[in-house]
Amino acid sequence: MLMIGAVVFAYVGMLALCLGLERHYKQVWGRAPAPWLRVALRSAGWSALAISLWVSGVAWGWAMGPVAWFGGISLAGFGVAMLLPYWPRAMVWLAAALPLWGVLLAV
Amino acid sequence: MSNTRPVWLLIVSRAAAALLGGYAFSYAATAFLARVLPMPAVDAVIVASLPSFAFYTCAFLWAFASRDALRAWWPAALAVPLAAVGFWPQLWSL
Amino acid sequence: MKNTFTQSMAWLHTWAGLIFGWLLFAIFATGTLAVFDSEIDNWMRPEVRSHDLTQLQAAQRGLAYLTQHAPGASNWNISLPDARSPGLQVASGERRRGGGTALDPHTGEPIEVRETAGGSFFFRFHFTLNLPRNWGIFVVGALAIVMLVGLVSGIVIHKKIFKEFFTFRPGKGQRSWLDFHNASAVLLLPFHLMITYTGLVIFLLIYMPAAVDALFEGDNQAYYKAQGEQRLLTPRAALKQPAALVDLAPVLASAQERLGAISSIGISNPGTAAARIEVRPTLGYRIALSKGQAMVFDGVSGELLRDVPDMRPAVLTQRVMAGLHFAQFGGYPMRWLYFVCALVSTAMIGTGLVLFCVKRRRKYASASVSAQRWYKVAESFNVAFVAGLMLACAGLLWANRLLPVELAQRANWEVKAFFAVWLLSLLHAGLRPAQRAWAEQLGLAAVLCIGLPVLGALTAQHDPAHRVLEATSVVLGGLLAYAAWRCVAPREEKPARKRATVAVEGQ
Repeated sequence: MLMIGAVVFAYVGMLALCLGLERHYKQVWGRAPAPWLRVALRSAGWSALAISLWVSGVAWGWAMGPVAWFGGISLAGFGVAMLLPYWPRAMVWLAAALPLWGVLLAV
Repeated sequence: MSNTRPVWLLIVSRAAAALLGGYAFSYAATAFLARVLPMPAVDAVIVASLPSFAFYTCAFLWAFASRDALRAWWPAALAVPLAAVGFWPQLWSL
Repeated sequence: MKNTFTQSMAWLHTWAGLIFGWLLFAIFATGTLAVFDSEIDNWMRPEVRSHDLTQLQAAQRGLAYLTQHAPGASNWNISLPDARSPGLQVASGERRRGGGTALDPHTGEPIEVRETAGGSFFFRFHFTLNLPRNWGIFVVGALAIVMLVGLVSGIVIHKKIFKEFFTFRPGKGQRSWLDFHNASAVLLLPFHLMITYTGLVIFLLIYMPAAVDALFEGDNQAYYKAQGEQRLLTPRAALKQPAALVDLAPVLASAQERLGAISSIGISNPGTAAARIEVRPTLGYRIALSKGQAMVFDGVSGELLRDVPDMRPAVLTQRVMAGLHFAQFGGYPMRWLYFVCALVSTAMIGTGLVLFCVKRRRKYASASVSAQRWYKVAESFNVAFVAGLMLACAGLLWANRLLPVELAQRANWEVKAFFAVWLLSLLHAGLRPAQRAWAEQLGLAAVLCIGLPVLGALTAQHDPAHRVLEATSVVLGGLLAYAAWRCVAPREEKPARKRATVAVEGQ
């Protein structure tokens, strides 16, 4: 479960970093993001990646955790890049996996 | 690249400088490091050998990035003094 | 200088990438499959059925068989089933590891298992290209250096790494190929660098003996001795004294507690007072590669004689790097991470190769006849080394099930089938227009992959353990089918480019 969480956080992080770039934000929403929003998205992105590292460390142990984390964020970033041109909205909605995971974890 | 010699010859020369010269350089650099690293020989072997492929890659890139085909062989030339330090006890006993 | 530097790096990346990319693609593709070598092995040996016996139960079946059939042998070896592989094998005599007799872990009776190249073919091919071992590892090592060179030069010539971090624009011809090549390279750069460098580190002292040459006069034995490796001496006198073997249960339990799952048990001089039990862990109870490590117990008293050694920090570093490449740690989740990352790596190399041709399509369409001929060679090689290799890999699995079970030298025939398919794909690529060749070979590979479950069901008793492999094969087949379809589907490109494509095809 924690392993899945690490991947979900990695995805959300990469998604936020991607939307933090003006060009990609426009691609999804058709308009430029407000400057504050860009900053917010970027900081959210980096924080999510950091949390992903922490969750990885807890899930895998601190020797294997960073290895899994690198793999996770790389694939998450690649997934974002591949989804963006085909299903941009679906890409954003996939972030709903995060609250879903949170609920499942709490149950 | 200069125009006086055929292009394929220059490419072959650079490729040889990259593959052979690069190996000579990384071999000598590894021997040099292993000799000068202030640690037990067992550890020095590994600590010196692990970065050797990075040395090789750098020398390889140098062989193709250098301005003329002669400079491509510099790492190979540099291998001589490095090897001399790395193998000085063996040289001494000759 | 800056400009010419970038230009020379671009030249190097292009040409080294093309010439060596063909073999690098093969190395990466088979390496990807080798992540699941045991699972492929299982599929290729359908006679070995999955079961839910414990390692101890299996070990005792093996021990009973050896006691009955090889009482006088100097060495016994029992390879145990584990989470990845259900097989139980025993061997006796000097040939201690690998091979031997396969046993049914329920009854302890020998079972007839087909001779096969197995999933380990992909593993061996990955680091030797099926050349004689020593030649192979040097060729693959040189290719790995070229891969590093390609990665670094690629970073140099890719000017907008961060600006185009997530950029992928499909349906735009050359632009799309470059975007995909860049995205797969940049986003997984840590993986590419790690897997290439650690691959070299596995054979560190074979590739780079300089330090051992300088400090130990090239004597590897002296070096390993200095590392503190010591052999346990056999008490000669005790060899003549008969003695009963200690119960395996507590020995195995204490080893499992320390090391996790066990890969095999070796028993030397069984039946004598000098008996020793060597318990070897499966690779990957930790990141560091644990190859060659074992706990040694006294075979009569069950006392621990030697624990797995603590590694010096330097040795540990090397082992961790090698372990990162072998990907035996972290169980199935980690294995899947590696598998998908490696798939992307393979695709990165493949798209790089395609890009070479796509970029030059128009230029060569109006070039001289001999230049066109060279272009056609590059295109054919691309088809054969990318699509053809995947076809050959799928072909190996089909050959495994279609060749008669009683065929002599069966494993060799499977390997021959692999290379025959590969060679035929090269021939086919040379004869057909490039676009058609791509579509046909990718399409056939897709059919073979998607048909794998059907083949499995028709040629062997169903084993639920094969379901994951067959499902994965269907998914990969789907991707190949999509790629094949894209090759023949009408393109959304501008008419001018389309005409150029037709011109190349029509030559």
